Amino acid sequence: MALLTGAGLVVKLVLILLIFFSVVSWAIILFKLFQVHRANSESDRFMDFFWKSKRFDAIASQVDRFANSPLTVLFNEGYGELKKVVNDHGPSEGGALSTDLGGIENVSRALRRATNSEITRLEKYLTFLATTGSTSPFIGLFGTVWGIMTAFEGIGKTGSASLAVVAPGIAEALIATAIGLVAAIPAVMAYNHFQHKIRVLINEMDSFSTEFLNIVQRNIAGK
Amino acid sequence: MTTRYPASNTNFSIFFIVSIILHLAVLLLMIWWTKLFPFQMTIQEAYYVDVVNLPVAAPRSGSPTQKGNDNEAPTPPPRPAVPENMAVPAPPQKSTRTTKQLPAVKSHEKTSTPAEPDEFAERMAKLAGKAESQQQEAALERIRRKMTTSGSGRSGMPGASGNEAGSSYSAYIQSRLKDAFRETISYTSKQPEVLIRLVIGADGRISRKKIEQSSGDRSFELAALRAIDIASEKFPPPPGHRDFEGVFVFRPQGISNGGKL
Repeated sequence: MALLTGAGLVVKLVLILLIFFSVVSWAIILFKLFQVHRANSESDRFMDFFWKSKRFDAIASQVDRFANSPLTVLFNEGYGELKKVVNDHGPSEGGALSTDLGGIENVSRALRRATNSEITRLEKYLTFLATTGSTSPFIGLFGTVWGIMTAFEGIGKTGSASLAVVAPGIAEALIATAIGLVAAIPAVMAYNHFQHKIRVLINEMDSFSTEFLNIVQRNIAGK
Repeated sequence: MTTRYPASNTNFSIFFIVSIILHLAVLLLMIWWTKLFPFQMTIQEAYYVDVVNLPVAAPRSGSPTQKGNDNEAPTPPPRPAVPENMAVPAPPQKSTRTTKQLPAVKSHEKTSTPAEPDEFAERMAKLAGKAESQQQEAALERIRRKMTTSGSGRSGMPGASGNEAGSSYSAYIQSRLKDAFRETISYTSKQPEVLIRLVIGADGRISRKKIEQSSGDRSFELAALRAIDIASEKFPPPPGHRDFEGVFVFRPQGISNGGKL
């Protein structure tokens, strides 16, 4: 603790900044762990439910149970668009979309838009983790360099270069690098982990979109 | 257009608070840990040993007393260089001169080798005589040199002659110091040199002795001071009943007069 309190002003500011980075990045890590875990588990459950169900309106009535899954959002978007397309064409054509494929195109666009918005939502705050991972070692290094500079100034003033004079200043300076690394290492690890998890979710969303469009087209073609 | 987003976006602040609590917990843990096991920087003093000037006995390098004082070293005995080729006949008049010097050798040679007895005996006698004369010359030279270094004709006694008062006296003191110092040398370093200023009072006793320039070799300086103590027991009073002051340079090879400086 004496190392933290005895440091100079610049080193203290650097330490405060690094601690702030660490706090925020850990908040993001915990938040993302929670978010990605819920998204994964609810997606699995939603897919089970989706394949068991016969009708879209039955799924739509139950979809609130899987509120945290990105697939739910996709389904809602696609189903809403499909309903609109069917309503616009009306029952005059017998509810058929077979003649013009514009309705399927609309549904596909809606699904792609929902996928993009879900990717944005999942990747939110991850850039902060990347920034923390790449910059906080340098910020810590800056604090260390500054601390060593002031330590050498002190040595020049006292005129003695014994270990007892040099060591505390350098130890105070080095704690900035240590805290920078402490902040950076979990951030980099979490960033890579979440990147992988989110890529898996994006793949799931893409395959769900394709599946949804297939089902829509199959039903329309069958009619 | 988006029907709904999951509600988890709103509760990021909860995780922020959780993270702050986590960091505070780590900080408290660190404080508790440092309280439990106080962090102390123990700085050990480094001791450096000067190996070069360390007085280490080195018998192989030889005692400095053997190296010093070349003029006191005894001249090597003449070699009995017996020439192998004895065929060269010596002049007959020389043989008559040398026969009386070594009659025993000659008689012995005569009995052993009857063929060339006279020539061999002549040769041996000549060599022996030559060696003897060389030895005598060397001894004379040694005495002469000793007399010149002591400053006055009488070695071992302070001379009152000379323009500058005390000049020969200092030479005398130097020689006495040299004799005493040779016995007390107990150093092993290579080239120590210590300048000692001596002030000898009118009663012949040392009133002040001061190391003007240290050699860095403690044992050598102690030896030099001990030599002064030994020699000062027999110092006669300086001439003219005036205080004598002089600087002497102590080296392993001997003592030289540093003058008044």
